[in-house]
Amino acid sequence: MAEPLALILREQFHEPSQQRETATLGMWIFISTEIMLFGGLFLAFTVYRMYYPRAFIAGSADMNIALGATNTAALICSSFTMALGVHSAEIGSRRFLNLFLALTMVLGAVFLGIKFTEYYLHYLDHRVPGPGFFFAGADASKAEMFFLLYFIMTGLHALHMFVGEGILFSMILRNRAGSFSAEYHTPVVLAGLYWHFVDVIWVFLFAIFYIEGLHLHKW
Amino acid sequence: MATVAETPAVERNYLNQGEGILSWLFTLDHKRIAILYLVSVTMFFFLGGLFALLMRLELLAPRAWLFNPEDYNKLFSMHGIIMVWFFLIPSIPTTLGNFFIPMMIGAKDLAFPKLNLLSWYIFMFGGLVTVFALIRGGVDTGWTFYTPLSTTYLNTYVTAAAAGVFIAGFSSILTGLNFIATIHGMRAPGMTWFRLPMFIWTHYATSLVLVLATPVLAVTLLMMGVERVFHVGIFDPALGGDPVLFQHMFWFYSHPAVYIMVLPGMAVISEIIPTFSRKPLFGYDFVAYASMAIAAIGFLVWGHHMFVAGLSVYSAMAFSFLSYLVAVPSAIKVFNWSATMYKGAISWDTPMLYAIGFLGLFTIGGMTGLFLAALGIDVHVTDTYFVIAHFHYIMVGGTVMAFLGGIHYFWPKITGRLYPEGLARLSALIVFVGFNLTFFPQFVLGYLGMPRRYAAYPAEFQMLNVLSTAGASILGVGYIFPLCYLLWSWKYGKKAGPNPWRATGLEWTTASPPPKDNFEVSPVVDGPPYDFGRMREELHLG
Amino acid sequence: MAQPVVSRKTYALTFGTLLGLTALTTGLGFIDMGTLNTGVAVGLAGVKACLIAGFFMHGFYESRTIRIAMIAGVVWFLFMISLTLVDYISRFW
Repeated sequence: MAEPLALILREQFHEPSQQRETATLGMWIFISTEIMLFGGLFLAFTVYRMYYPRAFIAGSADMNIALGATNTAALICSSFTMALGVHSAEIGSRRFLNLFLALTMVLGAVFLGIKFTEYYLHYLDHRVPGPGFFFAGADASKAEMFFLLYFIMTGLHALHMFVGEGILFSMILRNRAGSFSAEYHTPVVLAGLYWHFVDVIWVFLFAIFYIEGLHLHKW
Repeated sequence: MATVAETPAVERNYLNQGEGILSWLFTLDHKRIAILYLVSVTMFFFLGGLFALLMRLELLAPRAWLFNPEDYNKLFSMHGIIMVWFFLIPSIPTTLGNFFIPMMIGAKDLAFPKLNLLSWYIFMFGGLVTVFALIRGGVDTGWTFYTPLSTTYLNTYVTAAAAGVFIAGFSSILTGLNFIATIHGMRAPGMTWFRLPMFIWTHYATSLVLVLATPVLAVTLLMMGVERVFHVGIFDPALGGDPVLFQHMFWFYSHPAVYIMVLPGMAVISEIIPTFSRKPLFGYDFVAYASMAIAAIGFLVWGHHMFVAGLSVYSAMAFSFLSYLVAVPSAIKVFNWSATMYKGAISWDTPMLYAIGFLGLFTIGGMTGLFLAALGIDVHVTDTYFVIAHFHYIMVGGTVMAFLGGIHYFWPKITGRLYPEGLARLSALIVFVGFNLTFFPQFVLGYLGMPRRYAAYPAEFQMLNVLSTAGASILGVGYIFPLCYLLWSWKYGKKAGPNPWRATGLEWTTASPPPKDNFEVSPVVDGPPYDFGRMREELHLG
Repeated sequence: MAQPVVSRKTYALTFGTLLGLTALTTGLGFIDMGTLNTGVAVGLAGVKACLIAGFFMHGFYESRTIRIAMIAGVVWFLFMISLTLVDYISRFW
């Protein structure tokens, strides 16, 4: 059942399409800020990767490709379910929206579970930078830089995932309260944009941390 | 029964619609949020100014007589941090921008009023954390937080100060985001891009810089904080890190940040000069494109802060060339403002005095920037008082003068009152004299070799330092006068009509102070901006 | 408004392609291509990013203003990285 227009049109806007387009533009501007935020870290990685290629490739060879690839697949699946969720909202199907939001959350949780398991395994292997760090090989200290950037970048990404889980949960709650319809579901679209963006970041993190040294990976 | 001649005792406007402190603290009205910000940035301005005063007192004598060098380091660090992040960057956009962007485009409010209020709370929280760092003992890295000093060698409140700045950065980002979305999506019918007041174009350019640069500051401070707190080394040479990388990342933000600080000043000047010359802004299109060019090219010049830090000479040459390039659009704007005044009907009201002051002082500041962009000269004057004079000419001679000019220009609209013109003109003169006496000697000092950030200096520099301190006390008086008479005028000033300056622009068509929804009737635009010719016709016919 | 922007079929095709590209990236990663490894990995990541941005995020279907907002962040990141690398690459010339 569609919400009465007055309840969803904020007073500074003239009409719903203006509100929707402005909100979407706002979200994309926010995504640009996130690109610059992660961009700083990608810049640091690029500089050090350029200066210490052997150490960085050795570090990458040390990563757990099975867990990394599973995580990538999980996030790509979650982007698919999120997109289907937005589609459900667009056709006004609240039940399917709930289903797909929940599936997306579950897949996100799977990602986070695997990630923290990986962090724990790294900890056991003394790959956590700091006094306890140990890495066999010629360029140990430069490899520590690799792992430092790994923890910071994937950590920042995981933080964004947590926020994303929170956003999805609030979408489920609002949907159950009847806030969304085929005419008005902009928050779902914006949540989707955020979620997909966090997935895009992971796609690049996977490439630079897991794939680069894969040809030297020892099983 | 009321007669036709009777007027209501108190008109409903944004100030009295909604009573009590909570209606202010939870407001979604962009005009009230602008006032909240005005109070905040004024407090931070005087706090930062207090540190400046203490520094200038210390510099009266060649040896460290009032403070020991470690404490002096804290003074200039806190002065820089507070002035840059808690005054200059927010000042014009969050006060005049917040108040007037919706009005100038004919909208009821910004696109995202709740984000606007959130932005103020984030700003205040960041300010609180920074003041906490200050009270607990301060930070002494300089406002630039260079590693490894900040991460490895200091015991002061570096992390807290950096956290305060980090938090305040999100406030900037939200403001910029709000402005961009508003300018794209909320313009009144008929308000095409090239009918916008130049204030809007310039704030749009500023907002682009706000959203694209500030996140890099956030991640840089984050990395610095991680290094300091967890004792790991991203910028630490012992771990293979590069301290110069910190500088690359820091200045990638901080150079565009100076355009965040000066572009809004230019926005105000672009409104004041046409009004007080009774002429349209000359070369409107060029001024608009120049604003965008400053924003864009401003991202490509950051290396000029690092010429002596260890950059490759080829990279330094590239940055030097780009730094010369970025001066061109600024010069275009100065020429266009001057051409606007040419053969205009000039009136010398206070806003115009500040605007003309801006023109001269910004030009001096900008041209000395070109001195610094030349590699050969920079090697000699970098990290001296020459640099300090250069950026204070732009930040204080430029931005602060523009801020004061804008506050005076828009004061009747914001408060519905006129400020006392005679006292205001005198204050503008005091500010101008005090400013030049403070900072011109610093060009000479820097050229003669006095380093910056030093509590003690060779005795032969004392005369110039004493002149500078004398100027600073005059400048301080010049700032206190407006604080007093503006506050006085809010209660006791003469009432202002909707358009005391006979300016063009939608904001002057509504009551002073404006109603909560800005316009009684939603405006429709059908002509170019600064159309003084049409205004003259309408006044004759009306 | 009741018309979905993108069809489920398009989403499914995109999803399949993304999984395929992930498998390809991983597979190619095992092959030692010397200096090309990085380029291939990041390049394929870029293709995946374009698919996600274009289809899942409706990038191919949005207005010009939105597309410019999307691309601006990427372009600015490229400014930052390329001009910084000018320093690092030329330091030992």
